Amino acid sequence: MVRLSDLPDFEAQHLLAKNGTLPGPRAWVAPTRKLSQRKVVLITTAGIHRAGEEPFAASDASYRVLPGDTSGADFAMSHASVNFDRSGFQDDVNVVFPIDRFRELVAEQKVAALASHHYSFMGAGLTPPAYESSVRQLAEILRRDNVDTAFLTPV
Amino acid sequence: MSAIAHFLESEGIATTGISLVRENTVAFSPPRFLWVPFPLGRPLGVPSDPAFQHRVIAHALSLLERTTGPVLEDFPEDPPQVDEVAQFACPVSFAAEPSAAPESWSARLCDEVAQLSPWYAAAMAKRARTSVGILAETPAVLASELGACLDATVMLAPQRCKHLLEDLKAYYLESMAAQPGAQATQLATWMWRDTHLGAAILVLHANMRDADDASTREIAAALLPRWVIESEFARDAGGVGG
Repeated sequence: MVRLSDLPDFEAQHLLAKNGTLPGPRAWVAPTRKLSQRKVVLITTAGIHRAGEEPFAASDASYRVLPGDTSGADFAMSHASVNFDRSGFQDDVNVVFPIDRFRELVAEQKVAALASHHYSFMGAGLTPPAYESSVRQLAEILRRDNVDTAFLTPV
Repeated sequence: MSAIAHFLESEGIATTGISLVRENTVAFSPPRFLWVPFPLGRPLGVPSDPAFQHRVIAHALSLLERTTGPVLEDFPEDPPQVDEVAQFACPVSFAAEPSAAPESWSARLCDEVAQLSPWYAAAMAKRARTSVGILAETPAVLASELGACLDATVMLAPQRCKHLLEDLKAYYLESMAAQPGAQATQLATWMWRDTHLGAAILVLHANMRDADDASTREIAAALLPRWVIESEFARDAGGVGG
């Protein structure tokens, strides 16, 4: 897992149907600094948010703000899909949102700093163009936060 | 995930991260991703294993040093095998045929939630966190609301229905995971096959899947995992109050 050959055919076909292309020219940021000089933001598509915050809708390209000082202890998950295992997240938020691991990297001076906030999308049911507006808006916020690197986790 | 990487990178922010479905990442060809052979829902591989998680992160971060791309690399480790403990015994004596129990849906669901309560408390004590909390109400209140709607054959608003069920499922799974020997695969099978909540969701799905309203059909499609839809107990489920 997740090797498609290990999945039932109906699961493999469902996942293959998600294949597509990205709009516009290929993007690439060449490396200009060491990891120890980078300020990193964590972005997940796991559909997590603070408990009580507005849940994600069935098709939703918006994002939720995860405060940088969060413990992760009060995160809920309103991801629309029921086709993945939630027990890992319920046991340890780091398995989808590795905030404690990145704090350790900062403490060890392997990463310069973390963003003041992190972000959660809900990756389901939409094609790439649906996310362009919210991601470009988020990019402007990240620049103001002096973030130069994003670490991305799916679910 | 590929789209977010692509748009951020086009805005000058370097990206790296985890791919769970290699074929999708090959097709989209985003700037940098590390494919991992882990189950959907576990991109860092192993909960509560910081050393393993750090190895995954370090590998993904190392891709930032590449001078040409796109980069898609494979993580070389499978997650450690978990010993399958002797058959996991559900601690609550549910009816063998949930939908055949004589009480109302409301009584059955509220009783089930109450019986799980000490295990939920044990889970909270162990983890100091819960993922229950999409909605403000307690699981007991949500179970009562769900049961009342099924008893009256009244539809919940589709989006509230979805969020209510996600909170109740989280409550059930967190409670059961507190049991010695509980395994994720066993928990999922148990919840869908042996609980009144699982039976209730099967009935809701049957009631909602052919609705005239598109949003109701959309939510119905997001109530059951595909493996449950393919299972015998889903095909046998009736609608309209079970």
